[in-house]
Amino acid sequence: MRQRSLIAITAALAAGALTLTACGSRGGDKGSDSDSGGTIVTIGVDAPLTGDLSALGLGIKNSADLAAKTANKQNYVKGVTFKVEALDDQAQPSSGQQNATKFVANKSVLGVVGPLNSSVAESMQKVFDDAKLVQVSPANTNPALSQGVNWQKSKTRPYKSYFRTATTDAIQGPFAAQYMYNEAKKRKVFVIDDKKTYGAGLAATFTEEFKKLGGKVVGTDHINPETKDFSAVATKVKKSGADMVYYGGEYPQAGPLSRQIKAAGAKVPLIGGDGIYSADFIKLAGSGGEGDFATSVGAPVEELPSAKEFIANYEAAGYKEAYEAYGGYSYDSAWAIIEAVKKVVEDNGGKLPDDAREKVTAAMQDVSFDGVTGKVSFDEFGDATNKQLTVYSVQKGAWKPVKSGTYTG
Amino acid sequence: MPRSRPGSGHRITDGTGEAVAMSGIGPLEPGEGTLARDEPGPAGPPRTPWPYGPLARAYRRHRRAVLTAAALILLLSSGSYLYATRERPSPPAPSAPPYPSQVTDVSYLDAVATPPRDAGPRSFSFAVLVGVSSGPPVTVTRVSQPYAGLSVTSEPRPPFRTRAGTAQKVVITMHVRDCGKVPENVGLPFLDVTLRNTRAIQMHSFILGPRYARTLSGALRAACDNDSR
Repeated sequence: MRQRSLIAITAALAAGALTLTACGSRGGDKGSDSDSGGTIVTIGVDAPLTGDLSALGLGIKNSADLAAKTANKQNYVKGVTFKVEALDDQAQPSSGQQNATKFVANKSVLGVVGPLNSSVAESMQKVFDDAKLVQVSPANTNPALSQGVNWQKSKTRPYKSYFRTATTDAIQGPFAAQYMYNEAKKRKVFVIDDKKTYGAGLAATFTEEFKKLGGKVVGTDHINPETKDFSAVATKVKKSGADMVYYGGEYPQAGPLSRQIKAAGAKVPLIGGDGIYSADFIKLAGSGGEGDFATSVGAPVEELPSAKEFIANYEAAGYKEAYEAYGGYSYDSAWAIIEAVKKVVEDNGGKLPDDAREKVTAAMQDVSFDGVTGKVSFDEFGDATNKQLTVYSVQKGAWKPVKSGTYTG
Repeated sequence: MPRSRPGSGHRITDGTGEAVAMSGIGPLEPGEGTLARDEPGPAGPPRTPWPYGPLARAYRRHRRAVLTAAALILLLSSGSYLYATRERPSPPAPSAPPYPSQVTDVSYLDAVATPPRDAGPRSFSFAVLVGVSSGPPVTVTRVSQPYAGLSVTSEPRPPFRTRAGTAQKVVITMHVRDCGKVPENVGLPFLDVTLRNTRAIQMHSFILGPRYARTLSGALRAACDNDSR
């Protein structure tokens, strides 16, 4: 019996040792989709998931999804599990409006991330505002969306439910003008836009500042974004004697436009806004795109430690598509919704109130956290208080930052 | 290759525990009839005789107890070793200091009515607040502006340092050198500041906003009104 007891003790010790070992080596990995249970809160995402701009749209969708998964993994809002529902607006205002109506009809949706395009946002804002459903865009830059159509004379916020994490064109256009006039020493610009809310608005803010600085506008034209033949406008650029081209629009047109302008014999740089800041622009522009410029919202990611963590988590999550220009802003937009939901739940004894949408919209105004793109909070118009911009240039086939600035006015 | 790497997870689970159990438990509790194999058979090789001596005699008397104790020691040492060398989350690497442009704020305060005495004619001054939010101290090594017809000085003169959590007032003085090379009107002018901390040296533009733009435009008009541009 004594020997048998020893055997039993030995076996127990062996089992204990192995258990300790097993506990120590597991590393606590429970997977990224751990479900904290409780109430489901849906974060809607509206973006172009198909079509020319889908690279940007899918980056927005994935980044918002990563934020929801992170919140669930951390059990960030006790009793709430976040879910993402993404709808494709195909960059069309009418589709965006239909999507807004669908989100409003789904009672579990307490906030929407998106859209990409300012023209799409215009069609969604009233639908969301009537339902008191908060919307946080990671990418809209047209100032009128938050400051009213007369923003240059008197700013009036049209919708209390509209917020954005991106910097507006009221700063982006002048920032580009200052850089091109003062540092690139350009004096004669040919301005082209795609007649859309974003493109035309951005071209206007650039032009105004460039003229104030003493620059000359030697020609203007519009393009039809449905075509890819820009040879007529390329010839006009060549004849104008411009030493640069400003394009208000997006990369699916900007790339071929740059290529055709150079092919027409005008060896001058093209500059655009965040809508052309995409790896796809470089592919479409070809070798002639070398030396072109883009301004984009935010600081270069390598300067932001929080962005590095986001990039690592994004890669670890295994999304097929790149996070692209608005990934960090989309993550922060989704996280702003999560923070607002958290505030509302905590203020209501750990449960969602009946008027959760209205309360989440109100809570968004005071949201403040250290996000991927820096400090995230909103001013009285719902615009991001963090207003950083960077000028990038195509160098050796990649976008390289050449100038960064911060608006502190 | 990973299986033989010291300290790898495989080393923990690849049969180490199993080997301990086999070598420890088997001889302790022989199955029925197994002792018979200890008897030399007629066809088998002659068994090596047991060693003699007091230790050997003691071992023979307490063979099972000795084996049990040995097994226990082996198990405990193996368990302790495995526990001590288990995978643990590596301590977070010390984070690099932030880039100076990410922690420095330069904001416009107001126009300064009287420029410094040595500023010369056609000069005007304004004050900015330079603040650092976190990280190591940030040194301003240069203040400049982008217009060809202007030069700039500041008080204090660069280089000057600002520690995290503090802000200091800096008086910027612009000197109009050539009215033909300054803008008549500006929308969102920059102030370019070169910043240095232990992480990097960066030239960063601060867009000081519409109040600064109005001050700058008004001062340039006043300085150049009687001058042919």
